Amino acid sequence: MESSDSSDKGSIDQSEAQRQSQLDRLDREEAFYQFVNNLSEEDYRLMRDNNLLGTPGEITEEELLRRLHQVKEGPPQQNSDENRGAESAEDVSNGDSIIDWLNSVRQTGNTTRSGQRGNQSWRAVSRTNPNSGDFRFSLEINVNRNNGNTNPETENEPSVEPSNGEDLENSQSDSEIPRSESPSVRQPGSERSSAEELTAEEASLPRGQRRARSRSPEQRRTRARTDRSRSPINAVSEAPRRSHHNTSSQTLDHSSAGEAEGSSRTRQHVTLRQHMVGTEVPSENAVLFSPPETRPAPQAAGSSETTGTSESTAPGQRPPTIVLDLQVRRVRPGEYRQRDSIANRTRSRSQTPNNTVTYESERGGFRRTFSRSERAGVRTYVSTIRIPIRRILNTGLSETTSVAIQTMLRQIMTGFGELSYFMYSDSDADSTGATPSHNVETSEPQSGGGGASGNENADVSSGEVYEGGHEASSTSGARREGRNTRGSVTFEESGSLPFLSLAQFFLLNEDDDDQPRGLTKEQIDNLAMRNFGESDALKTCSVCITEYTEGNKLRKLPCSHEYHVHCIDRWLSENSTCPICRRAVLASGNRESVV
Amino acid sequence: MQRASRLARELSLLATEPPPGITCWQNGQLDDLRAQILGGVDTPYEKGIFNLEIIVPERYPFEPPKIRFLTPIYHPNIDSAGRICLDVLKLPPKGAWRPSLNISTLLTSIQLLMAEPNPDDPLMANISSEYKYNKQLFLLNAREWTEKYAGQLRASKPLEEKIIQSETSTSRESTIQKRKGVDISRKEKKSCPDS
Repeated sequence: MESSDSSDKGSIDQSEAQRQSQLDRLDREEAFYQFVNNLSEEDYRLMRDNNLLGTPGEITEEELLRRLHQVKEGPPQQNSDENRGAESAEDVSNGDSIIDWLNSVRQTGNTTRSGQRGNQSWRAVSRTNPNSGDFRFSLEINVNRNNGNTNPETENEPSVEPSNGEDLENSQSDSEIPRSESPSVRQPGSERSSAEELTAEEASLPRGQRRARSRSPEQRRTRARTDRSRSPINAVSEAPRRSHHNTSSQTLDHSSAGEAEGSSRTRQHVTLRQHMVGTEVPSENAVLFSPPETRPAPQAAGSSETTGTSESTAPGQRPPTIVLDLQVRRVRPGEYRQRDSIANRTRSRSQTPNNTVTYESERGGFRRTFSRSERAGVRTYVSTIRIPIRRILNTGLSETTSVAIQTMLRQIMTGFGELSYFMYSDSDADSTGATPSHNVETSEPQSGGGGASGNENADVSSGEVYEGGHEASSTSGARREGRNTRGSVTFEESGSLPFLSLAQFFLLNEDDDDQPRGLTKEQIDNLAMRNFGESDALKTCSVCITEYTEGNKLRKLPCSHEYHVHCIDRWLSENSTCPICRRAVLASGNRESVV
Repeated sequence: MQRASRLARELSLLATEPPPGITCWQNGQLDDLRAQILGGVDTPYEKGIFNLEIIVPERYPFEPPKIRFLTPIYHPNIDSAGRICLDVLKLPPKGAWRPSLNISTLLTSIQLLMAEPNPDDPLMANISSEYKYNKQLFLLNAREWTEKYAGQLRASKPLEEKIIQSETSTSRESTIQKRKGVDISRKEKKSCPDS
């Protein structure tokens, strides 16, 4: 036909230029394969896992080498990043938007921050993989138990920090001296706050409610100040938190993990709210308070806690160190949720063989995994969220999607929103609906309850509550706790726009839900691998239609079909069958196994 | 990943050993190909020349190429936009694409689909039911469309080239015969020169 005619000629005309460029490309590809073949297995994995291999023919060997070195030097860099981290931390604290923070993270790559407040010190490390768009925060909090009071704080802290979206990593500074790296904002607050906190705690001891009220004004001030004087805030917020904490934890203990029991949750929830509300929004308090009164149980719990917790409970029961590990991964087109979840599980398992609780939920295309473990005084939370963001950028956020994302992010930021998931797996939909409105913490008793239900959840819930309060007051000013608040608040305030950028941040995935399941890296690595030898007659890799050459690394699937390692790995990361015979690479059934 | 090198190899293979009744060439861009499939003898598409567009995605061969008919065709599994309902054109788990397939095998599969429609997985419901319950009418319509849209006059020039190519490939028929659809295409070759 006509079109074909012209196209024929066109192709001829262009062929010269194209040929040249293709030749160049082929050269680069050649170099690429050479490079891959020369990599040690470790290096190969390293590069593959970091998505540094790129596309053959597009990257020069030099670039690959550079990347490899970069990766290898990665760890030290992170340390050196601390200074940077401090800066970024400041940014964060100042810039109220989590997105700003994310952006800064994206630019800087890896960030490490640490700070200290009262007895507790924290350290947050964030890592972003620019290639994959995944990012990960880890936040570690250490509490110095010298002060009985501090213990509660520590717990509070985690909730706070998670909200930021960073996981706390090892911050082990016992002293109240702020680390050099710690953001300036926090430092001033920390000392004061500790002092104030003490008073606050004492005051609070009588009952959570009282505390809340008394402090609510303070919070406002803090907000008003908007400065970095967080000390007041801290004190306030912390106190309430503590109360929460205690209450929630105790309640939890009693009803522990009473996921099934809605009533127990609600109560807890209520109690939490009381505290929370009190802290932040007085007006709300009225509303909230009434419920608490009706429920004797929570109050009692709260009171008991207050007394007990701050003093006796803390040392024995609460781990000195809390590690939050949050990962957000962009789901690639081929990636299967199942697979993700497996990976997560594996991970959490390996981290903490004992006392690990893993929870996984999926909603609206998100897959999130949360696990908690406690060992040797270190509590670890691992939360992984897979966000297949589809067409968000182009299409705009569909209501559901955006809502779901918002919810998730908010929860992440809040810290342990996951806990609520814990409780709610079934009621996800509800929570989602409610959450989007954010502000309505009150309206979302469930979420709070959810948080409360888990023992550790208490922290989370508290975080959320706070947020709610802040939001209600619409003050982003409360910083110190603010971190928690901030995250959530920002989201809410910013509305959908930030989400867009967030979505961009996470990158999009156009593919649909029904995607092939791939294998995890671990699973792939378990497959046999060998070097091609000249003795092996024949054979062409059927993926790239290239004949094997000496030294090529081949992977052999259980069905005995062989391919170039880099060819088959990519296919298997998104699929689970042999390209030639379509037999499943894994024995079926493994995939579903949980924990 | 290996798209460039793989495509280059595939194209040279397609040029030297095209499957019978099929031609494929580059349309300017590396990732934009065109193909022609000759309607099989004893099918309502006999004597028709059907043009197809092949878009090779960035992730090829880990993703299947996107293939559609440019020439209207009356077929239960091909819609009016030329989209083709064929498992090998989709990724698993829905589809059966795998990187060991290639453009040549895909075109062969499409050729086979033309000869053997699958009315149980219809894209065009009305054509499908016609195919099932009133085959005569279906054949009539399909022939009419073939004549109207895929008549050889319209495509005579490219056709000649194609014929030449397919004739050169005749010598290799022995190796090619193993492929499905060879019978059809062999007949086609004979028929093509006649016209």
